[in-house]
Amino acid sequence: MANYADDMITDLLDRKLPLDQVYTLQSDKDLGRRDQVLALWQRRLGWTEPVLAVIQEHLFVVETASGERVTRCDCGAEFGDYRANWKEEALVYERNPRDGEIYVGSHAADPDWQILREFYCPGCATLLDVEPVPVGYPFIHSFIPEL
Amino acid sequence: MTTELVPPRATGANSLKERLAIQDRRIAETGVFEPELRLKGADPVAFEVLFTKIHQAVINAREVALLISASPATREQGEIIFGLFTPEGDSIALSSGLMIHVHTMSRAIKWMIANDYETAVGINQGDYFFNNDSFIGGGHPSDQMLITPYYVDGEIAGWIGGLTHVVETGAAEPGAMGSSFTSRFVEGLILPCLKVGINDQLTRDAEILVERSVRTAVPWLTDNRAKLTGIKLIRDAMEQLIGEIGADRYHQLSREYIEDTLRASREKVRRFLHPGRYRDVAWRGVSLTGQESLMQAPCELVVTREGRIILDYDGVPSARRQPFQGTLPLFEGMLFNALIQNVFYDLRYNDGTFLAVELHVPEGTACNPTDIFLPTTLWGPAYAGLQALGSCVARAYFANGYLEEAHASGPLTSGNLVGGFDQYGRPVGGQCFEFASSGMYATAFMDGLDSAFSDFNAEGDMGDAEVWEQGMPQVWLAREIRKDGGGFGRYRGGNGIHSLYMAPEGARIEMGSFGSPPIFSTTGIMGGYPAPPLRTYIGRGSNLRSLIESGADLPNGEGLDPAEPAFVKAISADWELVLGQNYPVRELEPGSLFSVVTGDGGGFGDPIEREPLHVARDVANALTSAETAERIYGVRLGPDGSVDAAATKELRSAMRRRRLERGVPAREYKATARERVLAKDFPKPVQAMYRDVIRISRKFATEFRSFWNLPADYEV
Repeated sequence: MANYADDMITDLLDRKLPLDQVYTLQSDKDLGRRDQVLALWQRRLGWTEPVLAVIQEHLFVVETASGERVTRCDCGAEFGDYRANWKEEALVYERNPRDGEIYVGSHAADPDWQILREFYCPGCATLLDVEPVPVGYPFIHSFIPEL
Repeated sequence: MTTELVPPRATGANSLKERLAIQDRRIAETGVFEPELRLKGADPVAFEVLFTKIHQAVINAREVALLISASPATREQGEIIFGLFTPEGDSIALSSGLMIHVHTMSRAIKWMIANDYETAVGINQGDYFFNNDSFIGGGHPSDQMLITPYYVDGEIAGWIGGLTHVVETGAAEPGAMGSSFTSRFVEGLILPCLKVGINDQLTRDAEILVERSVRTAVPWLTDNRAKLTGIKLIRDAMEQLIGEIGADRYHQLSREYIEDTLRASREKVRRFLHPGRYRDVAWRGVSLTGQESLMQAPCELVVTREGRIILDYDGVPSARRQPFQGTLPLFEGMLFNALIQNVFYDLRYNDGTFLAVELHVPEGTACNPTDIFLPTTLWGPAYAGLQALGSCVARAYFANGYLEEAHASGPLTSGNLVGGFDQYGRPVGGQCFEFASSGMYATAFMDGLDSAFSDFNAEGDMGDAEVWEQGMPQVWLAREIRKDGGGFGRYRGGNGIHSLYMAPEGARIEMGSFGSPPIFSTTGIMGGYPAPPLRTYIGRGSNLRSLIESGADLPNGEGLDPAEPAFVKAISADWELVLGQNYPVRELEPGSLFSVVTGDGGGFGDPIEREPLHVARDVANALTSAETAERIYGVRLGPDGSVDAAATKELRSAMRRRRLERGVPAREYKATARERVLAKDFPKPVQAMYRDVIRISRKFATEFRSFWNLPADYEV
């Protein structure tokens, strides 16, 4: 099993790793990447509370001083208990696919079938998820990590 | 009761049926296929060398068979796979190719064993069984397998099978995959594990049956000969191998290869996927008039610390008299295709992978219909389930830091169907498999490849238009990479292709297409947008002849304005747009035009985090427009195409401010949306889905009512 330097994995997280090295990562897998990445994020984020898991782009589980485990954006905005759906604490924008802003002409779905639900971080306005769902569909809870 | 941990062959059971029952019971009780890797432990090098020989035999069979078939789908697209199986029907090794059939041929073999073929039909050396009944094995009537048992010293040593996707089955619409089918009885000729060969010869009466039942028998019959050849090559190789190592060692080895894969699969999950619960939903629907209904494929993936994978698809809508559904064998094939491509790609792929996964799919749903007279032509949520699983696996990799393995959804691959009579007066029927070159999903580190991907066959390509034109009398006026097809994102989905066909003079041609309703079938992930719906344009009464006679350039591209493609603006015709691409086959007069698109990949991440230089590159390559660059990506380009960094920064800041202005706190959003849910104010396709799923799925009903805080008896 391979073992990759922190610099290389940092470049992967920053999307600066050349493709030929990404292929190296794909073809010769390293164990323990989770711990390595969590340690790197701990330094990069500069938080004193321990980072326990990566939920997705921008979102992490951290353990606060009071012992709560919460989902937090890299901008610092918090989304509550990590077992609850972070979308419940996000900003939501329901988009008619035919509003002409994202999809044009035949590239837009029919709103009688699906609308788009966009979830923004209330702290940094990053678009965290886009759900193409029918009207009235419950928020999709994508991931509950087992810690 | 103590389970006997001896191989079924050694139990003294006389029939394959008894042996299969013993094996099934043992696996159910212990989760073990073979208790000891005795031969691997004794000589691991020989273990690998012998597997390489077996694998080489099935790969070699595929490569030879490709050259024998006359069907472009097989020869050009590589829609073919071979497999080697134990006497009880478990796959030991498979070739590359149509990987969704890692398990569907096993299903057919086990079905024959369970249905007393040994006594009622007879199973002998040199017998060939043909199956395209998707309730038994395969995916739809186009998926056609040829299977033979093989014997050493009078004892069955195993089975060998080959499978191809055949482009004409004599269905109500040509090309086998019509979007209007409402029963099995219009899907064409379906032969459920029929014996079509004895003494190593395909029987003439079975060929006559095909010749008189389908529009053109060439693809079906030459594919059978290709499969027969490949099977014989594998059998020769196995007989030689068994001659060298002995039957007892061969049987033990083949069982150990499956057990070894089972253990390796669990270990790979344990090492590389983050434990937890993952959920995603992918979408299909029924567009038949009067039956309009959205269909969800809700995937719940649980990864345990021990490396178990548990998959639950509770919430899939009911199976009905419509073509957008798939059988359980097909659905299993789709799921294992996803797992093999995304997780188990570096292991031996065989039924050990299948055994490593616990799968729940409610009976009677569109992913597990029980009424064998329902059509299963176009798979619907049984295809979407693969996409949703891919997204769940992507999140499991991402959480563990393996960004190099994470990606959005792959494309909905769909295309056109052709029938009628060619310019020589010969009947034709077929489908064009150029949709094997759809747009790839965006990954966590790069854009999806343009026109180079299909989920169902990693080796597929679009094939030469000229070869397709020999078998299907449509003339290509254009084949180009679609603009702005892939879902927008930090990394964009790959673009599929747009093709523009002309109905030629001298032929009587009918054409149709298949796809989905006007929905987003391919989702993005982590802020990436979904890929657009497919679409078909039909242009009748065109002025194409006068354009050609005048020597004018034929404008045949989409251009950069999807609202009105360039070819629609430039060619005068009675244009019809079918959003979603389901267009039942109809006759087209010569000079008519027909345009379809293949699927595009989903996007990854927030589009305004996209590297501006990548946007500029796409504009320079005419893969997107300057308007899209600004509107979606917040990238301003100068007159020379270079990035205006200051303006881009300001644009993106403004986009973030706009998000904060119009975004509503989720609690407020829910309070408002709940009123609509309480009032049951849903459009018809949505109402149809909720009404059905809330009735049949307690899990979905509970979650739906809980999320919206609805009364316990709420229904739609």
